[in-house]
Amino acid sequence: MTQILFKNIDMKDLTDIEVYEKQGGYQSLKKAFAQKPEEIVAMVKASGLRGRGGAGFPTGLKWSFLAKDVFPRYLCCNADESEPGTCKDRELLLKNPHMLIEGMILCSYACSIETGYIYMRGEFHDLSFIMDKALDEARAKGYLGKNIQGTGLNLDIHTHLGAGAYICGEESALLNSLEGGRGEPRMKPPFPAVEGLYAKPTVINNVETLCVVPYIVNEGAEKYAALGTEKSKGTKLVSVSGNVKRPGNYEIVMGTSTREIIYDLAGGIRDDNNLKAFIPGGSSVPMLPADQVDVAYDYESLAAAGTMLGSGALIVIDDKVDIVETTLRLISFYMHESCGKCVPCREGTRWLHQIVERILQHKGTLEHLTKMEDICDNMSFKTFCPLADACVAPVVSSIKHFRSDYEKYFKNIPTGSV
Amino acid sequence: MAGFTFSEKQEKEIDRIVAKYPFKKSAMLPLLTLVQRDERVVSPEAMVAISERLDCSPAYVQSVMSFYTMYHTEKVGKYMILFCINISCQLNGCDKLLEYTAQKLDIKVGGTTADDKFTLHREECLADCTNAPMMRINDTFYGELTEQRIDQILDSLS
Amino acid sequence: MSDNEITLTIDGKSVTVPKGTKVVDAAKQVNVDIPVFCYHEKIGPLGCCRMCLVEVEKMPKLMTACTMTVMPDMVVKTTTEKVEKAQNGVLEFTLLNHPLDCPVCDKGGECPLQDNTFKFGAPETRMEFDRHHNAKATPLSPVITIDRERCIACQRCTAYSERIEQSRDLVMLNRGFKNEVGTFNNQSYDTRFSGNVIDICPVGALTNTEFRFKARTWDLSNTETLCANCACNCNITMGTRLNELMRIEARPNDAVDDGWICDKGRWGHSFVKSKNKILTARENSRGNGGRPTSFPAFPHDCSLPEAVSKVAQAFKKIATEHGPQSVGFIGSPYASNEDGYLYQKLFRQGLGSNNIDHKTYQDTPGLPVNHYGVEQIESSNVVLLIASDPTEELPILDLRIKKAVTNCGTRLVSLNDQKIELDKQASLSVRYNVGSETLALDALTYGLAQELGESASAQGVDATGISAETMKTLVETVRSSMKICVVYNPAALSGGAVSAVKRLLAMIAKVPTLECGAIPAAPMTNAVGAMDMGLLPDFYPGGVSIGDQEEIQKQWGETAPTEKGLSALEMIARAEAGELKALLVHRSNPVLDFPGGSKVITALKKLDLLVVHDMLETETAELAHIVLPSNGPAYDEGTTTNIGGRVQARKQALTSELKPDWEIISLMLNALGDETSYQRASEVTDEIAQKVPGYQKIGRRSVGKAGCNREPITSIDEQVSTESAQVGAGEGLRLRVASFLFTHDKILDASSKLAHHFQPSTAHLHEEDAKKLGIQDGNAILLSVSNARLEATAKVDNRCQPGGVLVPKVSDEQEVNSLIGLQGGPTWVEVRKV
Ligand SMILES: Cc1cc2nc3c(=O)[nH]c(=O)nc-3n(C[C@H](O)[C@H](O)[C@H](O)COP(=O)(O)O)c2cc1C
Ligand code: SF4
Ligand code: FES
Repeated sequence: MTQILFKNIDMKDLTDIEVYEKQGGYQSLKKAFAQKPEEIVAMVKASGLRGRGGAGFPTGLKWSFLAKDVFPRYLCCNADESEPGTCKDRELLLKNPHMLIEGMILCSYACSIETGYIYMRGEFHDLSFIMDKALDEARAKGYLGKNIQGTGLNLDIHTHLGAGAYICGEESALLNSLEGGRGEPRMKPPFPAVEGLYAKPTVINNVETLCVVPYIVNEGAEKYAALGTEKSKGTKLVSVSGNVKRPGNYEIVMGTSTREIIYDLAGGIRDDNNLKAFIPGGSSVPMLPADQVDVAYDYESLAAAGTMLGSGALIVIDDKVDIVETTLRLISFYMHESCGKCVPCREGTRWLHQIVERILQHKGTLEHLTKMEDICDNMSFKTFCPLADACVAPVVSSIKHFRSDYEKYFKNIPTGSV
Repeated sequence: MAGFTFSEKQEKEIDRIVAKYPFKKSAMLPLLTLVQRDERVVSPEAMVAISERLDCSPAYVQSVMSFYTMYHTEKVGKYMILFCINISCQLNGCDKLLEYTAQKLDIKVGGTTADDKFTLHREECLADCTNAPMMRINDTFYGELTEQRIDQILDSLS
Repeated sequence: MSDNEITLTIDGKSVTVPKGTKVVDAAKQVNVDIPVFCYHEKIGPLGCCRMCLVEVEKMPKLMTACTMTVMPDMVVKTTTEKVEKAQNGVLEFTLLNHPLDCPVCDKGGECPLQDNTFKFGAPETRMEFDRHHNAKATPLSPVITIDRERCIACQRCTAYSERIEQSRDLVMLNRGFKNEVGTFNNQSYDTRFSGNVIDICPVGALTNTEFRFKARTWDLSNTETLCANCACNCNITMGTRLNELMRIEARPNDAVDDGWICDKGRWGHSFVKSKNKILTARENSRGNGGRPTSFPAFPHDCSLPEAVSKVAQAFKKIATEHGPQSVGFIGSPYASNEDGYLYQKLFRQGLGSNNIDHKTYQDTPGLPVNHYGVEQIESSNVVLLIASDPTEELPILDLRIKKAVTNCGTRLVSLNDQKIELDKQASLSVRYNVGSETLALDALTYGLAQELGESASAQGVDATGISAETMKTLVETVRSSMKICVVYNPAALSGGAVSAVKRLLAMIAKVPTLECGAIPAAPMTNAVGAMDMGLLPDFYPGGVSIGDQEEIQKQWGETAPTEKGLSALEMIARAEAGELKALLVHRSNPVLDFPGGSKVITALKKLDLLVVHDMLETETAELAHIVLPSNGPAYDEGTTTNIGGRVQARKQALTSELKPDWEIISLMLNALGDETSYQRASEVTDEIAQKVPGYQKIGRRSVGKAGCNREPITSIDEQVSTESAQVGAGEGLRLRVASFLFTHDKILDASSKLAHHFQPSTAHLHEEDAKKLGIQDGNAILLSVSNARLEATAKVDNRCQPGGVLVPKVSDEQEVNSLIGLQGGPTWVEVRKV
């Protein structure tokens, strides 16, 4: 399979700039600097690269939205990676920090940015040391600093650590957090491209997204766009976890069948159990039952199946698992991580939690399912940011596909005892 | 309130941190982190010191710090164990292992051992799902946990 | 329709609103009621409560009307099924953990949550679990109670603290459903403006501790009146029940207060029923050593009208016997225009005397530039504060300036002799040595003159402590501003510095590219009105100069006195000399508030007749032969003129058996042969409209609920003198008395709800001087002049420049004015450690 991001991932000492350079690292800069910044943006547009952080927004387009003639501008690399099931960015940061730096330099050149931050979740403190070392090396080599390679480009990049809040992965909450505030999301508009960090135009991209850029510049947009499906280009890192034999991060070409990922790459279901369900794109997307395992792993096919590619975290659930328990765990996560700013999210996650807890204590009734669906309806698309929708996804999909898991808790319950 | 003063070493570190940003308020989380790592707690006195350093109200510092789970208003143990209980780890049996760890340390989840050595917290997904079940102790990630491995790890920490 | 307007459709109704308007506000224009909790027009959108969801054509999701800005041809629907379901759902979430204790909640009857529940809520709750419990009523401060269980975490109050007050003392703590409103380390939330959170809380979470359980809101009668605590004249509602004042709330008026009031305005009203209230006319047998020879004794059951006419006749008698120069009047910058107007009429027309004044500093009516209203601050590029500390002196002005700086791009420049709170917002803070304001101002004027090629006397900066470079920046900042608003406090300017301000203003007016105006910002409630009403020895009402004989005779008759009278300080000096025989003091307390200390007492004791007309017992009333009662705020009726020249109505909220001041003065006028008989205060207002230039348009109608600006009074060039003063030199440190909002005085007495704000006497020193004097921060020190001394705690904080010592007036007891000489003017004090 084509490997772009993971090509050398397990190479010894890849974090060392010399080793990285030997593999062709930082070569893209020369190519890029020979072109106008707009041309780089156009190239990224042409590659069809879409954001790998979850929303899948076309990256080139995002870069072209920056407010004209407003400076300084900022680049924030989203390395918050907190979506349950997702651990691909961590692997990139841990093993190939220079690839990210290279990508960030390219983005900064393309967007006339002079300051970049890598916002890492607080739990990545160890990775920040690796990253800081890599940044120091890049500075020493003149890839960062003033007048980089005689281009007139000034750029510095700093790491910044969060401190334990899933919501800070949401781009506007990330900005608040980076500004030293509570990680509550911001009102949009204004969008970050217009008023982002310190109210200046800001690009926010996921680690994986930025890591792809050197390849595009080196090999050309066409080569990247030739990979994958019509609308989902290139490769994607998929974190396969849960009840599989070989959990791990795998780089796949967009459009690969999910069955192939689960059964070939990840070695199939552990203990020779059967597949019951899978969550294809991190905990925030609807789960699918086993009979859909042949769905192609790309944005469109997954959307057609009623779910999303999300952050690319494939969580595999076998038939020994009680879906109600899994769902409660996910609701509990969103309840814990709701910033509390808006009412439907703050109250809704908690209420759903109370109900499912009650069901698990065999004190629920069928009406609870109807009520849960109605609560979900009252939450979805009515909150300040998509966190509440993320909570709704597993609840609604679990009721839809695994109603019987719930129903077994209702047996022998005289109605009206609640 | 008795005052809190930054040590010389901390002052140096603070200067380095503040220099990263065009507005010093951005140093809020790094400063809180610095204090938390050095003191194992963020005391009200330290919040005042940070507020003075960053030119904001102490209430604001507390407001920010109370939003994030990695800051603690009660001193934590020398080893902070964050035990992931989210979905991938749950599917891999973390609940039993957490219970095992709590029993082994003879504390409740959320508590600290009498000798101040270990604090055990439940934690949401730590982004190491492919090594589930996993936990983080201070800066180190430990994956593919089993009861024996937990014994080994905890026993190796002095 | 202009470029700046947008037309859209809401529920089928077309509406045109200014660009940038939020959909909620646009809806109000066509009477469409979109429910809100977190949105507050003055605080701006938050998007937290999600109550305002509406459907917008072409948008897939419901949108929050509070965060959405209007767009051309937008079609908004607020009553569709989808919207109703969402509103129902959001309300259900909101009420999920709310205690529903409306029957015992102070907010009951005026609670948006209650109202919205009636209008948009589902009939019954589907919540089947225990509600989230939290602390019930606990004190958030000595004056505010918080009920965290009722809080719906809408964040209005914390956003207020962040965006309006800009202190961030009240914050959201924790995350998710553990979110709660709180303060640092559970300290009390105790700012100058904390009370506004009570008005804006949409539920009964933040309540007025004073008002708790005192009355149900629907049992109150509400009077729309003015705050009388400072010259902002904020609009308030006094809620009363059975003739008792229950609470004070803000009553938004954009032109004045922008919807906010300070805590002193809200809680500083204990004087209304103070035990020191003067309730009857009385002779003071002890006062001044017995009854004056010229005054016939009050009969045993003397009625108030009788007493009053006796007073008038006694003054007449003295004026006849010793000449009009022998009687004098010290009026009040706190009383209404009507009272001031009538009193000056009494002294000028009835007694032929111009010995009329209301202040101890120099000032003249009129400005060489526009008199700006306070809302002009928002549209100015530069606000230049001169000797002004709005935070302590005119608190609501502080909020307005902060708003201008953060929301309107206004640059704040402070030219002061002290550090002030607002320096934090200032883009340039220039500090001059205490007492050198005239030099500093003239240097600025000179700098501008040089740039403009105008003539002005050369003035260096050496003695001011300002560097030449800073002065240059200041000149440049002023010159290059497109619109400048100068805010100066005449009461804090020493000597003739107020003329220097006017020289400066006249020079600024010459900058061709500059729009300019000024706000004379003396803190006393009706300082501007008192000047306008001619409570001055050299000006008739409306700024008519004593020299303008023709105008005076036209308005006030052939016999109107036209020689300059005595200023207040001169009157005291003449009393001392035995030349002034009779003095009437209205709502003023020279013994304590004038310079001179014990010398004022000696002087007043020499008077043949001292009459004090006041609402509370004062040190001066104690010396008076005759004391007349005055009602005071909450009882008064009439108008006052605020710093922005806005005339507004003070309304009567409480009734009293006493006669209002205007009636007492009118009785005196009658006793002296004036035949006008006023039936109500507004008839005096009507006469003011007729007789006072600038007040032609003022009347009951025009003043209405929101007030109306009087025509500005333009000062005539010749009053702007060109000579410059020198700073004298003295021994010791130059004293500056500064303002403090919560002064422990007769208004904020010990029974006040704000007593916790009282401060001990402190003296602020520069570290250079402290070092020389061997004084350390926190030392007990003594400030002394020949015959007076003041104890204080030293604060070595460089609040003023070297050579100065700054003492905030924190209490009556402190008697700080006694350090100043009888003539006012510069004072040097010896400072030493005790
Ligand atoms: C609740 C929430 C959590 C998110 N967490 C992450 C995250 O951990 N990492 C990430 O890259 N993007 C995350 N996102 C997506 C970001 O908001 C944003 O879309 C992304 O960083 C943009 O980068 P991309 O265009 O390269 O994907 C999150 C979004 C939401 C709503
Ligand atoms: S106390 Fe009132 S204003 Fe403050 S958040 Fe709660 S409901 Fe809102
Ligand atoms: S956290 Fe975003 S809506 Fe609640």
